[in-house]
Amino acid sequence: MKAQANDVEERLLVEAARKDPAHFTDLYEANFERVYAFVSRRVHSRADVEDITAEVFQHAFEHLSRFEWRGVPFVAWLYRIAANAVVDRWQSLSRESGWPAMDPPSVEFDDTEIERTERRAQLFRNVAKLPAEQRRVIEMRFAEEKSIREIAKVLGKSTGAVKQLQFRAYTKLREQALKDFAGQAGGRNG
Amino acid sequence: MARQTPAERMDRMIARLLAKARAPITAIEAESVSKQRNLPVVQFMPGLRDLPREIFKERVRRNLQRRATMATRTQVAPEQHASATPYLSVRNAAAAIEFYKRAFGAIEMTRLVQPDGRIGHAEINIDGARIMLADEFPEIGFKSPETLGGSPIQISLDVQDVDAWARRAVETGATVVRPVEDQFYGERSGQFRDPFGYTWSISTRQETLSTEEMQRRLDEMARKQSDASPQPERQYIREGFRSITPYLIVPRAAQLIDFMKGAFGADERFRVNRPGTETIMHAELKIGDSMIELAEANDQFPPTPATLLLRVDDVDATFLRATEAGATVIQPVADQEYGVRSATLADASGNKWNISKPVEGNTIFRDLRSVTPHFNPLRAPALIEFLQKAFGAEEVYRAQSPDGVVHHAQVRIGDSIIGMGEAHGPYQPVPATLHLYVPDADAVYERALRAGATSIQPIADQPYGDRSGGVRDPFGNRWFVATHIRDVA
Repeated sequence: MKAQANDVEERLLVEAARKDPAHFTDLYEANFERVYAFVSRRVHSRADVEDITAEVFQHAFEHLSRFEWRGVPFVAWLYRIAANAVVDRWQSLSRESGWPAMDPPSVEFDDTEIERTERRAQLFRNVAKLPAEQRRVIEMRFAEEKSIREIAKVLGKSTGAVKQLQFRAYTKLREQALKDFAGQAGGRNG
Repeated sequence: MARQTPAERMDRMIARLLAKARAPITAIEAESVSKQRNLPVVQFMPGLRDLPREIFKERVRRNLQRRATMATRTQVAPEQHASATPYLSVRNAAAAIEFYKRAFGAIEMTRLVQPDGRIGHAEINIDGARIMLADEFPEIGFKSPETLGGSPIQISLDVQDVDAWARRAVETGATVVRPVEDQFYGERSGQFRDPFGYTWSISTRQETLSTEEMQRRLDEMARKQSDASPQPERQYIREGFRSITPYLIVPRAAQLIDFMKGAFGADERFRVNRPGTETIMHAELKIGDSMIELAEANDQFPPTPATLLLRVDDVDATFLRATEAGATVIQPVADQEYGVRSATLADASGNKWNISKPVEGNTIFRDLRSVTPHFNPLRAPALIEFLQKAFGAEEVYRAQSPDGVVHHAQVRIGDSIIGMGEAHGPYQPVPATLHLYVPDADAVYERALRAGATSIQPIADQPYGDRSGGVRDPFGNRWFVATHIRDVA
């Protein structure tokens, strides 16, 4: 039932965006974390991940009319665009760097891969839902790669207090992850 | 080693992870999963390492919104028009913004200040209307009305209650250029100059009018104005005269005057005899709203009797009086199929008088004056063409039979009509003399010559207050083209 409801909702979002491009941002909000997770699992530099993610949504925005509803979720279309973008990026990088021998990243995605991507996207969303200070600490520590000392300075707190915020954030994320994927952890990751 | 708190233990692990070169993500993930039982929290570390920056997510969103706006403008609503925003250059932008806030309730949206303190750009919003402004930068040609000595651009402000807006603007220091009034184009509006040199036309729509209706009202207004105030243009015609006055040069002129008085109730206004004679050199008679001039024919001025259409209130009574005064009947009184009751008479001087009254609803003869000169040319189109070229005549009516004969036509010159019907039966071409008032006699005289007329009297100032000259048209008619210059007592 839930999946069906989401299906209908997604379908409405796509239709709305087709009628009025301003509504595309709703599709963006609903899928940003997934696309970012998909790309970040295959491309290592943050700058490249950002470039490709931006490209994917711009391409989707411009070609929304080409998306055909065949019972495939909208995000699968986005993953396909992302996979192509990753390969393109890899090819142009190998040409520039002269490493033609390097294997391109796998852009295949099966159910397991989709689930891992979904799990990571959910993590990103969970971070966004953290209390403001915890969220800020996680973001600075990981996304901005700042040291505890730097973060302490920015927030005007002691390093101990920052570590405490970091720990609480972690605990919360873990609890949330267990709730989100109850009964799914284990087996599939092996 | 001091005992570590869980928070510190975790931070050391995170530090270790972040210090590692980035191995393929899946490998890290596999590794972390294998340690899951001991340190389950580590499970999230690789994922967090790829945490998107919030600022990036926001940037992409804004980018998409901008594209959406552009797409909406260009694709979804192609009829949506571009926007134009006034950009005001003022000598003191800060003071101007303050003024617009108090005078128009403006809201300040943006203000960018240069290092030298000048406002390089500002944006205000007046009840939803966007206005941009900045301090003047004369060094780059961005000059204020104060520097330029005025602005040709007026800002039109449409508001709900123009009177309240005007009051507030004036109280704040705007000066009234034109007070608030109902305007013919369906708005109530006034104009106000702000202390910085810009004029604001503030208005409130009262009616929604078509362009045609607005034009109609404008025309009507212009007509009323010209009726109310004597227009300088009309002064080229001597008082009491019309654009066209028939000039009857006839034998027995004195007798003709008596006839016109008796038959048509003409009012003698002026008479002068040739020095030392009893013959009339010039006379003027008023009939209804028109004037007739006459003079005794002589060797220099051979007779040119006229055919005149005389509009009367009672055709039968006039016919009776005219015959009693000595007129001979050419056509007795009868109702004509073209919508008039009329009769045609001849006087002793050779003039023909067609006395008529249009029946109700007749529009063809509606615009005729009391006296209208009438021609019987062999071919009307040739005469009409000459009148158009020489005098700017406008053809207003033409009744033409299938074989091309023009039975009746009318042209308008100035405020007068000339009638004509191509020659037939007793109505053969007879050259006439006419006195034509025009705004610029010199120019019309020249035009008439270019159109094929010949000069019979060069243009000159006349002692009776006109500047005039005479031409003979290709059909033998004489035209005295005149511009009234001054009144002579």
